[in-house]
Amino acid sequence: MEKKLQVKNLQISFRTANGKVQAVRDISFDLNKGETLAIVGESGSGKSVTSKAILGILAGNSIIEGGEIIYDGKDLLKIAEEDFHKIRGDKIAMIFQDPMSSLNPIVKIGRQLTEAMILKGKARQRESRTNFNSFLRQLEKTMVHTMKVENPEVAAKEKCQKFDKFEYKHLELESAYNIAYNAAKEGAYDLDSLIFEIEKNAAKDLIYRVKTIATYAFESVHKYVVDAEADEIKNLAVVIKEEAPKVKKGEDSRLLIDSLTRIRDIFNRATERTAPNFFAMGYYLSNSEEPLDENMSVEELNVFLRKYLDDNFMLEFIEDAKAAVEYSANISYEKKAEAVAQLTKAKDVFGKEQLDRGECSQTIKTLAGIVYESIDKLSIQKDSLAYTFIPGLKSEVETYFKGVVGNVREKKRYEQQKEKLYKKYSNKSSEELSDLESKITPPTYTDLELKRTNILHQIERLVEHYNEDIANRGARDYQSETIAIIDYLKAQASGVVHKVTKKMAKNKALKLMEEVGISQPRIRFNQYPFEFSGGMRQRIVIAIALAADPDILICDEPTTALDVTIQSQILELINEFKAKRQLSVIFITHDLGVVANMADRIAVMYAGKIVEEGTSEEIFYDPLHPYTWALLSSMPDLDTSEKLDAIPGTPPNMIYPPVGDAFAARNKYALKIDFEQQPPMFDVTQTHRAATWLLHPNAPKIDKPKIITDRIARMKAKHKDQQEGALNG
Amino acid sequence: MDNNKNNNNEVLLRVENVCQYFRSGDYVNKAVDNVSIDIKKGEVFGLVGESGCGKTTLGRSIIKLYNITGGNVYFKGVRIAAGIKSYKDEMKRAREDYERKVKETSDPALKNKYKEELNGILSECREKIKSAKYDTDHCDREYSDMLVNEVNKKYLDRIEQAEGEEKKKLSAEYKNELRKAKNTKLVTQIQMIFQDPSASLDPRMTVREIISEGLVIQGERDKEVINRKVYEMLELVGLVREHASRYPHEFSGGQRQRIGIARSIIMNPKMIIADEPVSALDVSIQAQVINLLNDLRDKFGLTILFIAHDLSVVKYFSDRIGVMYFGKLVELASSDELFAHPLHPYTKSLLSAIPLPDPLYEKTRKRIVYNPLEEHDYSVNQPTLREVREGHFVYCNDEEFERYKKSLLDK
Repeated sequence: MEKKLQVKNLQISFRTANGKVQAVRDISFDLNKGETLAIVGESGSGKSVTSKAILGILAGNSIIEGGEIIYDGKDLLKIAEEDFHKIRGDKIAMIFQDPMSSLNPIVKIGRQLTEAMILKGKARQRESRTNFNSFLRQLEKTMVHTMKVENPEVAAKEKCQKFDKFEYKHLELESAYNIAYNAAKEGAYDLDSLIFEIEKNAAKDLIYRVKTIATYAFESVHKYVVDAEADEIKNLAVVIKEEAPKVKKGEDSRLLIDSLTRIRDIFNRATERTAPNFFAMGYYLSNSEEPLDENMSVEELNVFLRKYLDDNFMLEFIEDAKAAVEYSANISYEKKAEAVAQLTKAKDVFGKEQLDRGECSQTIKTLAGIVYESIDKLSIQKDSLAYTFIPGLKSEVETYFKGVVGNVREKKRYEQQKEKLYKKYSNKSSEELSDLESKITPPTYTDLELKRTNILHQIERLVEHYNEDIANRGARDYQSETIAIIDYLKAQASGVVHKVTKKMAKNKALKLMEEVGISQPRIRFNQYPFEFSGGMRQRIVIAIALAADPDILICDEPTTALDVTIQSQILELINEFKAKRQLSVIFITHDLGVVANMADRIAVMYAGKIVEEGTSEEIFYDPLHPYTWALLSSMPDLDTSEKLDAIPGTPPNMIYPPVGDAFAARNKYALKIDFEQQPPMFDVTQTHRAATWLLHPNAPKIDKPKIITDRIARMKAKHKDQQEGALNG
Repeated sequence: MDNNKNNNNEVLLRVENVCQYFRSGDYVNKAVDNVSIDIKKGEVFGLVGESGCGKTTLGRSIIKLYNITGGNVYFKGVRIAAGIKSYKDEMKRAREDYERKVKETSDPALKNKYKEELNGILSECREKIKSAKYDTDHCDREYSDMLVNEVNKKYLDRIEQAEGEEKKKLSAEYKNELRKAKNTKLVTQIQMIFQDPSASLDPRMTVREIISEGLVIQGERDKEVINRKVYEMLELVGLVREHASRYPHEFSGGQRQRIGIARSIIMNPKMIIADEPVSALDVSIQAQVINLLNDLRDKFGLTILFIAHDLSVVKYFSDRIGVMYFGKLVELASSDELFAHPLHPYTKSLLSAIPLPDPLYEKTRKRIVYNPLEEHDYSVNQPTLREVREGHFVYCNDEEFERYKKSLLDK
């Protein structure tokens, strides 16, 4: 399973007038691709803070005390704000709790929906172009070393340029086809509901919708989409445009319905046709002098083109590219071995009792060079550890030296203040003095020992990682890696050709609005946020978040303020997008009912710590932590009739976090040790972990509350009934 | 919880054909359309529906925050709000009728007869409109007049008989009571708890001021009485006395909602309209608030109109449930009956959307989509609210009525 996001030992606190509030205390979790992780807990448990840290939008008084958030080979806690622009909203999107505060009150909804699409479209086009060019150049540079011909520079350049050229031709052809194909597909989709509504005499903005269909009809005319019926569909488009106003006035709608049905049939037939292989066709058209044979069917054409491409160029190109990939990998392995040696040497430098500034910076410089060289540039999967190593190391060393200076300063300040105190109250007794002493702010020292072990730990981790890499050297499949590289290049190139115009953005926005369940999107498009109800506003926010096609979606209580039907629709919507785009979702909520539907895995948070973690089945059918019990038993379900088990009291003040288990004070089942010592995580199964002393082998046996066991029994009985019903029926 | 623990049939609040329309330009928004409900004394009546279906509007109309467009609201048998739409409609119909009839005939005698008929209907309707307006405006005054009479009866004789110090004391007491009686409104016996606990509390008033505001408006001036009552209420809702001098922003969401509840309880209401009181709260605090409302209900015998969209909570809390859809009441039944045998397709779709803490069930749960165009054919026969089984009402037409009845018998 590919890990999309890793959070490791994250610690965040906030500076306030009363002291430091420890909001997140050492939490770690992974987020896999296409998975939903739910974070559950009361307000103030640190769930929102965690998500804001991932997006880099923490409040100004926050202090990140430690930890890492690794995404796409970068540590999000350490990258520059400029780099974050490319990730925030685009790769990681967020849906906020309060929709009104995330919409601009004086800008129309339509503009807010399309603004980002247009801006991001331009930016993405630029980015794709640089990605494509730089990767191809890298490939070319490596190929120079591996091609076994005279003048490898020229040959490599020619090859890559050829690829570049026909790849663009391919995209030109394909985007023209895509416009026509999508028009037919969307037209067919729209027509289904439109025809039904006209039959029922209940169509809203009829004329506008018919006009859109007519536009689709014209757009869909393309050699490989609507070809034979081109004239017919054009005529029909004219007919429906004339008929729509008449029907609206109340005249007979039969002709309109007939024409629309015929257009729909044409669209449906068109979308079922096979698409030609444009990649190969692009090569043929840009290299062969002869025009394409008009009489060939699409299937025959595909076979012919494929063969032509393979014979003339592709197989050879793949061979060359593969050699280049292998070469680059080999070099990287050599450099890695070298890096390991250097790193081991560096351990001596950082292992000293007291670090020397000059020596350290010199070592970092050499390490930076060798580690950078050891990264395989032709690998698409970015090696996150190697990329984050140097910035991480630098910042750790920096804090170490800052601490060296700072500790001395702190000590001096404390001593001075104490001296002043003694001078002022020299006549007081020693007891009174020690009382007064405690009123001076105590010195805060940086733990130099900890920093040093951190540095060593980082180095060791990279060494281990490299050794592992080198050991797995034989298992690599260069053939499939090469294919993946070519696919990557194709994807980047398609990003260059893909342009977002205002009209496209508007169409997409309207479609999104419809998808998220806003009726009459065309009217709503030109309204201001205050004209929407709470649920509708939340839908707009979701539409905006989804418009950017993000990798990771963070939902911070998106449905808390919505009613059941809409909540259900919005959850389905998120689930649907998740399945369609392999989206990873972090879902933050306090409503466990919602989580059962959404989550693959659940993390229960309390007072800045994860207290229980497991798959959703494990959490619901076998909860272990008393806090999870409390959460489950404080919500009624449809069969609950006894008094609810509310959690007494409020969460602890995180300026002075409790010594033991933070939940102990509100916990009916707390043991004595809970007040004295923090429980460690006990692993129950591979996926299920909980931090409670109740799981310790020496702990007394305590049963779950009755309200929960009853409910679980009821649920199990229901499943059994269902299964038996399915067997019998 | 013991459902239907009150089997008495005394109707506390009767909502009769209430319509609440809002006009925006030429477009008339029918937020509440012809809704009738009887709420019995001591019961919890749940009102559910999606956002924008008019449930909050109905609550506000009952408590006279809006002037209703049509229909009547009776509280303890007294008409507290009345709309004039139905009478105006009737007048319009009568006029149209008259014009049509006049066109058809040429006999002047007959014409005169029609004219008289029309005038009769018109004046009758005008009379009704007048009385509706009078009731809406004067129900409170009549109630306070009644209270004033009671106070007079209680004190006047005693003051005449008493002498010296006692007379002075009694007359002061009399004055105080009289002022309170004059300021008391009938509607204050219905109190409302609002959805958003932070938006419904004035940030510049202390908790004491917020809770006692109603008493002060009613004319209570004795600081000691106010303090005593405020402390009593605070303790009742699970807060402590010290909280009285704090400001709302110093409290958590659940505590704020408790302040809101204390504010409504202090007026000694007979009925509470709870407009989504737990929707904005954390799960654990939700449970605290629900338990509190339950306790208060047992203690004071409150009648509660519970407006919410969380169906599990409504099911847990209510005796009877009404389902609203776009301003119309589409189904009404006891809560067990409604969840066991939902009849209206909208209710079915609503029930199918409830998320439960049961992952395996959730994975197979299919939401039923409700599309009124597909479900109903009302082109021939118009629907009305009909009783399919005792206490179970559904909004349907003849054909559907038979179908629903049959489906209930099959079960």
